[in-house]
Amino acid sequence: MGRGASVYLVTRTHGLRTHLITLRDMQNLARAKNLRDVSDSLLKTDYAIELGQLPTHEQDAATLENVILRKLVERFFFVRRSAAQGKMQDILTRYCARFEVENIKRVIRAKHGGQTAEESNLIPLEREHTLVNFPALLKAKDVDEVGSLLRDTQYHSILSKLQPYKESGTTLILEAALDKIYFSRIWELVDKIHGTRNLIGEEIDLRNLLTLFSLKTRGVSPRLIEDATIPISYALPKTTLQSLIQSRIEEAPILLRGGYSKLASEAASLLKAGSSLLLERVFFRYLYGDASAALMTHPLQAEYVIAYILLCEAEAKNLVSIVTGKQLNLSEEEISNGLFGV
Amino acid sequence: MSVGRVAVTRGVLLRLREQLEFTKRGKELLEMKRDNLAAETNRLLAKINARHEFEQRLMETYSALRTAYMTLGYSRLQSQASTVIPLEAKVRLRSVMGVLVPEIVRGKESTINSVIDPSAYAAAQQMTESLGKLLTIAEAEARIESIAQELMLTNRKVNALERVILPGLMETLRYIEGRLEEETLEEFFRAKRVKAVIRGTK
Repeated sequence: MGRGASVYLVTRTHGLRTHLITLRDMQNLARAKNLRDVSDSLLKTDYAIELGQLPTHEQDAATLENVILRKLVERFFFVRRSAAQGKMQDILTRYCARFEVENIKRVIRAKHGGQTAEESNLIPLEREHTLVNFPALLKAKDVDEVGSLLRDTQYHSILSKLQPYKESGTTLILEAALDKIYFSRIWELVDKIHGTRNLIGEEIDLRNLLTLFSLKTRGVSPRLIEDATIPISYALPKTTLQSLIQSRIEEAPILLRGGYSKLASEAASLLKAGSSLLLERVFFRYLYGDASAALMTHPLQAEYVIAYILLCEAEAKNLVSIVTGKQLNLSEEEISNGLFGV
Repeated sequence: MSVGRVAVTRGVLLRLREQLEFTKRGKELLEMKRDNLAAETNRLLAKINARHEFEQRLMETYSALRTAYMTLGYSRLQSQASTVIPLEAKVRLRSVMGVLVPEIVRGKESTINSVIDPSAYAAAQQMTESLGKLLTIAEAEARIESIAQELMLTNRKVNALERVILPGLMETLRYIEGRLEEETLEEFFRAKRVKAVIRGTK
């Protein structure tokens, strides 16, 4: 990426960042009386156009979530479009494939459970943003057919995982294979663009730790845990990950270093208290916290762009939590506790 | 049975004695049934007593589900839920002392090993456990309902036999026996008088 193009993208992202809803505004939204009030407040934000098209009587947590996800996809692809052609656009294109991957996972899950998958169950992704034929995937009879429909895409290696999937009877194998493909494709390019390595690497490490903690609590075999982790290491060496897989959860804080050690300690104490429900929040709060910090520490690097994208995701998750919490009549405290600091 | 309207004959007496024996045996059987039903009720009550604890557990399960909804949102949680292979259960009828009670026959247990998100898994796990307990309590409640109705009916029958029918039969029997005894004495006396009259005329 040329210097001019890089400056343009980072400057553009600086402008976009000001559109993000701050934590204070999020907390005000959490304080809203009901879902209608949340929706009204969102009319003053980037969500106004989409929300304005939604009739009031149709507004519930599910439809609002759809609007939020649509905006998230739009933001991701807007940043990708803003990048000049080259390595940066390539990495952003690969980064944006996370929606495609999530949608493939959703189709696989539905087929595994013998349920009918519908387009409304997927993240709203425009046809131009994906090379996967989702209408055909949705009509597939079973997981085998989904696999064969992915034969000519970048996810073709999933076909080799169909047999292990059938033997284990869990979609974990296929979902892990998709994650491996997704992150490997991004990781191929990180060294070519200065400043993209840190947050992407951290996300991979944290996902591995989350998978490890979550599966170890469930008593899943070490071999399956190993299969489910992404074979890329950033600040979490492969040998440490191997030792973690073989050891007990309580030993994780000792085996890990720095921030990961604190994180593992927090996660282990959560699990000890039987609160595995909040595990995901702990890991993502750490990632989004570092993304927030990156906005301050690397304001002129590509890292700023990745941090912005991650914070868009955090905003979407926060808003989904708020609208769902309001629909379920959860207290302000319960909703606020679940928010990520952006 | 109205005592006054009974024909006072030896045939009726014999029939009434047979009827009394039969009724006593019937009463014993009904008492046995009542005792068994009461014992079954007591056994089921122990299961139903767990309901209070279960309701609290169910509240916790709903709370976990709400947290999962809030963490993942509707579409992601729905997607995770679509991997769950549901529990198979059939309801069939079983006879306990002649009372038809429902019995839940569980088939394949639900499989949640494809639920990957930790919050969704925690909610699914609690939900699966609660569902198992819910089936046990629901079965016990449905059974106790049928049994309690039958127990009430049996109790009424035993009471009716004990307080109305058996005393009535015994009273009738005593009446007939008394009347027959009187008739025998009367006959004896009449025969003696006839004999005396015959002797006097000779």
